Parts: sequence; structure tokens; C-alpha cells
Amino acid sequence: MRQEHTSFSAAAGSRREPGRAGWLLLAPLILWALAFVVAPAVIMLVYSFARRGTLGGVVLEFTLENYAGVFDPVYLQIVIRSILYAALTTAICLAAGYPVAFLIGRAEERWRNLLLMAVMVPFWTSFLIRTYAWVTILKSEGLLNSLLMQFQLISEPLQMLYTPGAVVLGLVYTFLPFMILPIYSSVEKLDGALIEAALDLGAGPLRAFARVIVPLTQPGIAAGVLLVFVPALGIYAVNDIMGGGRVDMIGNIIENQFKGNARNWPFGAALGTTLLVSFAIAYFYVNRRQRAVAQGMS
Amino acid sequence: MHLVRRLFATWTGFVFLFFYLPIAVLVLFSFNQSRLNIVWTGFTFDWYLKLFEDRVLVKTLKNSLIVATFTTVLSVLLGTIGAWLLYRYRYRASSFLETLVFMPMIVPEVILGVSLLILFVTIGLQLGYTTIVISHVTFCFPFVMAAVQARLAGLDPALEEAALDLGATPAQAFTKVLVPYLMPAIVSGALMSFTLSLDELIVTYFTASAGTRTLPLEIFGRVKKGLDPSLNAISTVFILVTVLAVFLTEALRRRNP
Amino acid sequence: MTRIFSLVLALLVFAVAPALADEELNLFAWSEYVPQAVLDGFTKETGIQVNYETYASNEEMLAKLLSGAASYDLIQPSEYTIEALVKEKQLLPLDHKKIPNLKNIGKEYWNQPHDPKLEYSVPYMQGTVGIVVNTQKIKHPVLGYVDVFQPANKGRIVVLDDALEIVTWALAANGLGPNDVTKANLEKIRPTLQKWLPLVKVYDSDSPKTALLNGDVDLGVVWSGEAAILINEQPGKFSYTLPKEGAHMFIDNLAIPKGAENKDAAHQFINYVLRPDVSVQISKEFPYTNPNVEARKLLTPAERANPASYPPGNPKLATFRDIGPMSADVDKLFTDLKAKSGS
Repeated sequence: MRQEHTSFSAAAGSRREPGRAGWLLLAPLILWALAFVVAPAVIMLVYSFARRGTLGGVVLEFTLENYAGVFDPVYLQIVIRSILYAALTTAICLAAGYPVAFLIGRAEERWRNLLLMAVMVPFWTSFLIRTYAWVTILKSEGLLNSLLMQFQLISEPLQMLYTPGAVVLGLVYTFLPFMILPIYSSVEKLDGALIEAALDLGAGPLRAFARVIVPLTQPGIAAGVLLVFVPALGIYAVNDIMGGGRVDMIGNIIENQFKGNARNWPFGAALGTTLLVSFAIAYFYVNRRQRAVAQGMS
Repeated sequence: MHLVRRLFATWTGFVFLFFYLPIAVLVLFSFNQSRLNIVWTGFTFDWYLKLFEDRVLVKTLKNSLIVATFTTVLSVLLGTIGAWLLYRYRYRASSFLETLVFMPMIVPEVILGVSLLILFVTIGLQLGYTTIVISHVTFCFPFVMAAVQARLAGLDPALEEAALDLGATPAQAFTKVLVPYLMPAIVSGALMSFTLSLDELIVTYFTASAGTRTLPLEIFGRVKKGLDPSLNAISTVFILVTVLAVFLTEALRRRNP
Repeated sequence: MTRIFSLVLALLVFAVAPALADEELNLFAWSEYVPQAVLDGFTKETGIQVNYETYASNEEMLAKLLSGAASYDLIQPSEYTIEALVKEKQLLPLDHKKIPNLKNIGKEYWNQPHDPKLEYSVPYMQGTVGIVVNTQKIKHPVLGYVDVFQPANKGRIVVLDDALEIVTWALAANGLGPNDVTKANLEKIRPTLQKWLPLVKVYDSDSPKTALLNGDVDLGVVWSGEAAILINEQPGKFSYTLPKEGAHMFIDNLAIPKGAENKDAAHQFINYVLRPDVSVQISKEFPYTNPNVEARKLLTPAERANPASYPPGNPKLATFRDIGPMSADVDKLFTDLKAKSGS
């Protein structure tokens, strides 16, 4: 009996061919995916090849002009910027969130759920109020600046708000829990004796940590990266408020086509489809490779 | 180990400080006299009193809670079962199905909202709680599925075999061995799902009806007039009630293990 | 026999008639633009239940309206959207006989390009987009767009996050008509925008007053309603001026969409809102410019004197026209220059 610790694939020995029961049980999932994922995606796809209607909406005439627009340098620069911000956010979330996830995962059982709730509770307040609270803290006459000036650490208020840094702060704040939670459940199942042993041996606790423990939690890390990077690409509100509306991302552009006075649904749909197809290809390829690796290791 | 643990504990402290700093400000400003919620002008309880009169705000909070609860339950069911099935059986379409399931996470909310709206209109489904819950589940259950899948990746198959050897039926093995094992991931996914649903705005705009407005819709609608502190007040009340409920359940759990 | 018959008939008619009259009204309007008190008052007087659904932009309204998901009896579009809706034959003509209070609307609101005879729409609230200045920080007069976008003001300006608005300001500053949105003109104003945008600190269409109250910016070009709130909150600190090159006057209107089911209730509501005592309630909550001249008489002197609500003098104003497919070019120009203006 082999134990495989690769992500998204089972120990090769125990996976079976699905019988009728297997497919029957999967049916709800398939139906759901078909109805509420495939159908809307097809609608979006159709729209991306249509012409814009006068009042928004579309006129069903075939055109490729929307995709021409997607690859226009004007919009491409925004796509690249979005990818960079999403990647940076993911990296920071990983570095900052891992220790927290580890601590909670190794905590005594009676504290674990409480700690998890403590992580999530701030995010049950309204996003808008929460973000405006950050504005109150970071603005020129805000709490942070007042504090720093009070202790005479600075003589002039720092420009913290309405900067790219503020945007990253806002993004990290929004997504950190979604990195912590998946990693937590990977950490939780680690064998305590194994961890102690790893840390007692060899060249020092931090090195042992990186070499032994982190790889064991790789599925959790992979899940966390997925659950932060992907949604971060579609972000529009946090960067709008924290960046003073100056840091437009792909989410803002798309939003504009539907909700702003651009009134260009097909173009928005084309941008969305491109994003979706890129993700689908990347994810599908990585997923298949990992499954193949898992199979190969049996 | 102690060094690592102490380092991590200190760091975790900082992270929690980071999480709760704006919340502290939010709570503080719920007592702010100024209506405009931007500069502090003085202390008052007025906004909490105002909550009693603001039927609309309270109703939208109720709607949000209903939606979030149903969304979480459905997401947990779909996500857990889906993750387990994909783990258990070697479907040929596994990679394809997974990609499909995770797509709603990347589709920008406005597109998801518009296309779901058109879908609902086409099939004649009236907008309301059902349509909102469907939309929320669609992008929430991938989070549950990802969390459960990650947990399953390290499952020792010997565990299930042992249970079956000891005389358990497959169903019993599932509920008495697998589900408890998956609990941390399920709780993880449920928390993410609940959080996402509670604060969801755009998709909800397109799939809600006049009678089923949620709290985020109401709050965003008030931006033009000014986010008065009664919104802070309702957030504070909500946190207090939640924390209280959690402590009560924990206390009860410890009394009856 | 016939007497009893006619009595029974009369009774039947009385029993059925109320059921034939509209019992509810589906109002689809801007969020926070119709006070609850106004809705409650209407229900109390007529017995008609109002279902108030809201949106935050004209385009959101159009998306939901045109999807056919629900039938709305009243919508609240801005003037350029009315123009497009009329062109696409999406509005029902109004029966002026059912809205006698229409006479309360000021003369200047007739003969506007989007609906000269008010056949399809009735003005609800009017506003302008103008220059607000923190007079404690900026002592010299700021009279036009060119004065706002000076290098000395770099990093101290807030503007609306609205491609069309900003483009029309640039057009006006270059002596062009604000509705002359053509590809050639867009190229002409490109250098102007390239000069202006790097000076902006904050783009905010939802709540530009925040940055001004925070002290993060000292001046801006914002909605008159936002400026009016600032002036009411901190009297004497803020000034509101309409740019001398020409300002946008927007008119939000009530209109009845094509699929409306409760047309009578819709007319009743319009007439109700046009009553001075009702209209003034709206003004008190949203200090925009009330097009109802009778309602204006009921305002307090302080409210009437608010320069953002009722700009003095004879400023150069223009409404927006529907620019059709050019909106895509406008969006692209703005996106491009905003991204390049450095962040």
C-alpha cells in the first residue's frame, strides 16, 4: 500500500473504476456544472462574438472586433498589471499566512475551531465599511499618521493611502484568510511525532521545517494559491477604494463594459472569455500533469 | 521546536492585530456622532437606537443570513461529495470536470451575474432566494471542494480498509471514518463559503428581486448619501452576536462531550 | 325586478372595480433617491403597495430592465439614457391628463433635447457637475477646468471616475461642444488629458466627498449633490462653482417602460411626487436642484441659498446626448491615459 502525497490525486492503489453507482453519485455535480457553469459560459462566449447593442446588451451579429480589442496594448497593459498584483498578493499571503495556519493546525483541539472563527469573523462585516475603516487609518489625517506624528517619528504625514502599496495591503487583507484556511487543514493532519522528530534532527529547526514539513503540506499550499491567485485576478472594488481609482485592473475594465457608460457587453464578454480560457488551459494542464505524476509514482 | 513555535505565535499575533485593526476602528466609529463616518466628532449611542427603526437594514441582514446559510449547506454537500467522488473513482473526465467546477472562481462577478440572469430569464426561473442561492453556491462550492481535495490527498487508504475489515459497511466507513477525517477541511470550506456569500454584491444584484435584497446591496446603495454609522452599528452587533453564539456552543460542547 | 338587478350589478361592479385598479407599483430607481417617507405616504394615500428595487448606474438598470426578468412600472433614467430609450421605443408615452401637477415643473426643463415635450419622461431631480474647493486650503478663485488642472494642484485633486464626464470637460476646455464626441475630437483632447490625469489623486464617482472631508485632496470636480452635502456638513469651508468653460447639467427623470403592468399606479405616483409638499421632502434628503418650482418655494432660506443646490448666476450648462458607439472609444481613451498617468 503506497502513500502518495501529491495534490489532487488519490493514492493510486485505491482508485477504482466508477461503476453505475459512481456515475450516479456524480450526476448532481455534473448537472450543476452543466447548468450553472457551462450554460453561462456559453452565453458569455456567444456574446463575445456579437456586436454591442445601443442600450447595452448585444446584437447577434458575428464579429471578431471584440477579440481584437482584447489584445490591444491599451488593455494588455492592464492584464499584465492585474497578473502582477495577483501574483504579489499570493506570494505575500503565502509567506504571511503559512505560520498562522501552522500554529492553528498544531494547536490543541479545543482552541482550533475558535482560532479559525477568529480568523474569519472580521470578514463577516461589510466589505465597504471595513475598507473605509482602512481609509480612516491610512489617510493623511488618519489614525496611523496621527500616531506617528504624536510620537514624533515623522514630521509630515506619510502618503500611505491611494498608492499601489495601499492596494496590495487591501488585497492581502482580503485574501489572507483564503490562504490560511486550506493550509490549516493540511497541517492539521500532520503526525505530531513526525514533526518533532524532523525538528530535532539535523541542521536546525527552520531548515528542517522548510525541507520536511512544508512539502508535506503541499496540497494545502496548492489549494491556497489557487483560491487566492484566481479570484484576485478578478478584483475591482478593493483596488478602487485603496488606490483612489488610479489602479485599474482587469476586473474594473470588465465591470465598466457592463455597469459603466462604455456599454460594450461583447467586449466585456471577450475579456472574460479570454481570462476564462487562459485559466482553464493552465489549470487543466497542471492538473493532468499532477495526475500523471501520481499515476507514474505507483 | 519551541523557537519555531514562539516565532510563529508572535507572528500570528501580528496577523490577528492586522485583521482586527480596521474592525476596531469600525466598532469605534459606530459611536461616532458625525453622520458621515469619516472624521470623529464625538461619542453617541444614537446609531444603535436607530437600528431599531431601520426595518430595511435589519431585513436585508436577515436575507443575507438566510442566503449564506443555505449556500454554505449546499456548497458543503456538493463540494465534499464531489471531492470525494473525484478522489475515489478514476473517471476519465476528472481533469475536465475539475476545471469546469473551478471556472466560476475566475469568471469576473459582473459577467457571472449577467449570464446567470440571462440563463434564469431564459428558463423562466423567477428571481428570488432560489436564484441568489444558486448563484452563490456556484462560486462557493469550488472553495469547499479545493479544501476537501487537499485534505484527501494525504488520506491513508489503510484507514478505510481497516474500518471495512472490522465489519463496517461502506456507508458506515464513510460517515464514521472519512467524514470525521475530513472535518477540518469541511469546516474550512464552510467558513470560506459563508464568508463569501455574506459579502457578495455584484452577482447578487443581478439575481435578486426587490423583496430579497441582501445587506451588501443595501450598504452599497447608501454610499451616495453617506455611509452613516448605523451601518457600523449593525456590523458590530452582528459580530457580537456571532462571537456570543460561538462561545455558547463551545461552552455547551464542553459540558456535553 | 330590474331594480334589484341593477342594484346587484352595481354591487358587483363596486366589488370588482377595486380589484381592477392597480394594487402595486414596481419602482426601479437609483438607490437612496426616493425617501421611504415618500413611499409610505403614497401607500397611505392610495393603498398601492410600492416595491422599490434599486440600481447604482443607468447601465445596471438597463441590464436588468432589458433582460425581461421582472416587469417594472417606473424607472429613473438620466437624460442621455432617456434619449436612447426613446430611440429604441422602450418607453410608454405619458398621459399628461393623469399628471396635472406637471405644471409645477419649471419652464427651463421643457425643450431639452432628450424629450422636448416631456412626452416620455418627467424631471425628478436635476444637478450639475462642478468645481468644489476647500477654501481654507486654496485661497485664489478657481473658475474653470483649466484652473483646476494646474501643476500646483498636483496630487490634491479628486474627480469623478467617469470617462464620459472627464472627456466632456476636456472638450469644453478646448472650446468644443461637450457632445461633439467624434474620433477626431478625441484625438484633439488627448494632449489635454495627458496633462490633466497625472495631476489627479483620487477618482471616485460614488463618494468623492470622502477625500475632500479627509483632507487628502483640496479641490475637485464632482456632483453637485456631493458638494451640497459638504457645504451643509461644514459651512463656510467649501465653495462650489460651475466651470466657466461649460458644465454638465444632468436631469434624472421618471419614465414608464414598455412592459409596465401598473400604468395607472405609475401615473399616480408621478403626479404624487410632483406635489410641492412631497417634492420638498425629496429635496431635504437629497440636496440636488429641484425642478419643481412650487417645491422650491417650500425650502428653507438656507437650503435655497446652498450654491451647490441652486447655483447662482447664468452659467453655461449642457445636458448629455446619447453618443452611441462612441462610448467604447471614450472608454478606451480614458483607460489608456489613466493607466499611463502613473500609479
